[in-house]
Amino acid sequence: MADDVAREIVALARACGKRSIAVVGTSKNAGKTVVTSALAHALGSDGVRYGLCSIGRDGEAFDALEGGAKPRFALRPGATIATAAALVPRTPALEIYAMTDERSALGRIVLARVRAPGEFEIAGPPSAEALRRIAIALGESTDFTLVDGAVDRLAAVRGDDAIVVAVGAHAAPTPERAVDDAAALVAKLRLPLARAGDAALRIDGALTAAAAADLVRSGETRAVVVRDATHVAFGGKTYLTLAARLDLRCERALHPVACTVAPFSWARAFEPRAFARSVAARTGLPVFDVYAGTVARPAA
Amino acid sequence: MTGPWSPEAAVACGIDWLVREIAPAGGLGRAARKRERPFAPGDESAARERLALVAALAERAGTGRLGHLRAAIASIPDPSAILVRARGGDVLADVDFFELGRFLDGLATVHAETRDAAFADIAPPQPDDALLRALAPGRPGHGFYVADAFDARLARARGDGAAKRAAFDAARSRLAARVRAAGIADREGGEFVVMRDAAPNPLPPELRVVREAPTYVVCELALDATARGALAALEDADAAVARAEEDVREMLSAETARAAPELERACAALGDLDSLVARAAFCARFACVVPDIDDGAFELIDARFPPLAEALAERNRPYVPISLALGGVAVVTGANMGGKTAALRTLGFAAACVALGVPVPAARARIPLFDEIVWLGVGAEAASGEESALLSAFGAELVALRSFLDGASGRALVLIDEFARTTAPREGRALLVALLETLRARGDVALAATHLSAVASAAGVDHYTIGRVRSLPPVTEPLALAAALERIGSAMDFALVRADDARATASDAIELAGALGLDAAFVARAEDVLRTSPE
Repeated sequence: MADDVAREIVALARACGKRSIAVVGTSKNAGKTVVTSALAHALGSDGVRYGLCSIGRDGEAFDALEGGAKPRFALRPGATIATAAALVPRTPALEIYAMTDERSALGRIVLARVRAPGEFEIAGPPSAEALRRIAIALGESTDFTLVDGAVDRLAAVRGDDAIVVAVGAHAAPTPERAVDDAAALVAKLRLPLARAGDAALRIDGALTAAAAADLVRSGETRAVVVRDATHVAFGGKTYLTLAARLDLRCERALHPVACTVAPFSWARAFEPRAFARSVAARTGLPVFDVYAGTVARPAA
Repeated sequence: MTGPWSPEAAVACGIDWLVREIAPAGGLGRAARKRERPFAPGDESAARERLALVAALAERAGTGRLGHLRAAIASIPDPSAILVRARGGDVLADVDFFELGRFLDGLATVHAETRDAAFADIAPPQPDDALLRALAPGRPGHGFYVADAFDARLARARGDGAAKRAAFDAARSRLAARVRAAGIADREGGEFVVMRDAAPNPLPPELRVVREAPTYVVCELALDATARGALAALEDADAAVARAEEDVREMLSAETARAAPELERACAALGDLDSLVARAAFCARFACVVPDIDDGAFELIDARFPPLAEALAERNRPYVPISLALGGVAVVTGANMGGKTAALRTLGFAAACVALGVPVPAARARIPLFDEIVWLGVGAEAASGEESALLSAFGAELVALRSFLDGASGRALVLIDEFARTTAPREGRALLVALLETLRARGDVALAATHLSAVASAAGVDHYTIGRVRSLPPVTEPLALAAALERIGSAMDFALVRADDARATASDAIELAGALGLDAAFVARAEDVLRTSPE
């Protein structure tokens, strides 16, 4: 993805007052790492001091199932990373400047500056709460933070982040299914704020699909209020179906600013332009093609 | 930390609480704590020495300074595993050198803060100067980096690597420029998509097709001979940098191995200091005193049971310290809610303090060392283990008692709370008397709280009483629980005094039932029944 496309995503984040971007995927292999790498490259080329962190490798079960290593990031000086102690490479050497209290299966998480170009494996803590703390720590010594999220760790997203939703061809059998998944995730991330004075049922913790279905069955008419979209524990068509029959709201808004598409994988390929246009039309967000370096914008 | 106390005693007497309160702040202290064992009979001299050391440290350093020192110690990492690996010949990793640097910084801080008389003989040594100097080029701040300053060859290798990278980047840029000139937008490495309807035909030779689709192709840059040559040179240069970086690590690992014995001594000293400071902080916080330790009586003057004292203080309710002298076996009786159980707990807590080398929260104390601290009666049911679910409360008490008597060896402090309260009073009293006679014959120290009558005289042991309702004037309307408890506390005399068996039945139970808000008619009926009942 060209720097200018990545720069536009950064500009969208800055336009809504954010100095961090969390990249989340609708599925595994949705192109999160490629997007994050492109954002990192663009920030580095513009001389921005940025930090990069990721959910822990042990937080992504599919990696363990497939036996594959987490993708590496090609980084240059100017980058600061948070990664597990066991993943700090012997070469090129990193400048380690802090040892955090957060732990992963690969040891404690260290904060380190990139001093020479190289490829680095970034694996943070397995819990969303710990990843948030890591992102905050990185933000203290950098001007911009990138969080490489995970498909099943939406809770790592903070209200302070601009969110980029990565949509890939890999996990969806058809383009329509991939577009549905993207629309559901973006709709969830755009959960409207609760209105003061409205009759409301406040949910402590996460709202599960079973609990939401019970509310639908019981004819709940009050606003069903969760802390934020990360506390809605279901997605996809189930979310779209249940959300259409409940007045779902949140106390803290999240900020999705863009989608990206990865139109091909080893499993299948979608027609890139039509795929991007469909995602833009259904989500109402600008959609950047991870590989073609193009953008599809929603109709005004 | 395990000790000579039963699990039931650990809970009932606040020993678990005490162990948490005196927990070391750092990993080195926790390692030191694992090496410690509680004082037992025969350790009197060592216990006296340790208690005096802790109390002196508390007095000389004070709460504020001890707290500051604990915070400094808490931040020091435990480098033991790193030192073992260095001594074993491993080449350490950068994270290891970072942690060693943090350890040496922390050691230097603690050493600087413990150079005065307050810490005479217990201050940790100075950090290893040679290792500090060796690490210094990589630690301009408080981090660690295999910096050029370690070795001129490393600096040269990195300079050469940077030049080779620039040459490779230039070669790639030339290829990318030719692709751009053919009308395809520039890409930064990796695979990218080129739409067929927007691509030149044929594709420029600088592109290699990775995958074809009807409407697009997935491509990547194809390196030409010049770029491949630059890439080979870059890989050689990177390998040279890797070797030079590893040489630095080998040098630092060898220096670490040389310093390891001294650092391990420093680890042990820091661990011991952490453990001592934790005890001293407790001593300062609770105004503890060093007890006399001998084989004789167990004597407490104005002793406190801090877990209860703190809980009452949080509710703005008064706490009354207790004083007693226990020559052997004794009975304590008195009103419900009058402090019998608290007295038992205070004894167990004080005995555990001494076993753990902690001065005692009291005005004055004389305490022997015990082989065992045992809790029987209420709260000891769990001692019967998995069988407890199958037993009545009385059965479980007896199983716990049998377990103690079968396993007992050495001198025990036995604390007995309402033993046999759930069986017929006459037979329960007989069992309790027999138990007290047994303990007396064994030479144990024991205190039994009971409402059963004339136990002390029957067993031939001392008798104390605690808790007497002075007066509880009637209230016009029911009080909330907190207010009712405060009113009872104000009306209760918590003094523990020697008594005779006549006081044993004065439990003030019905009066307290009324004070706790039970229905007035209910309470009145209970009083009628009591008046008309045979003794």
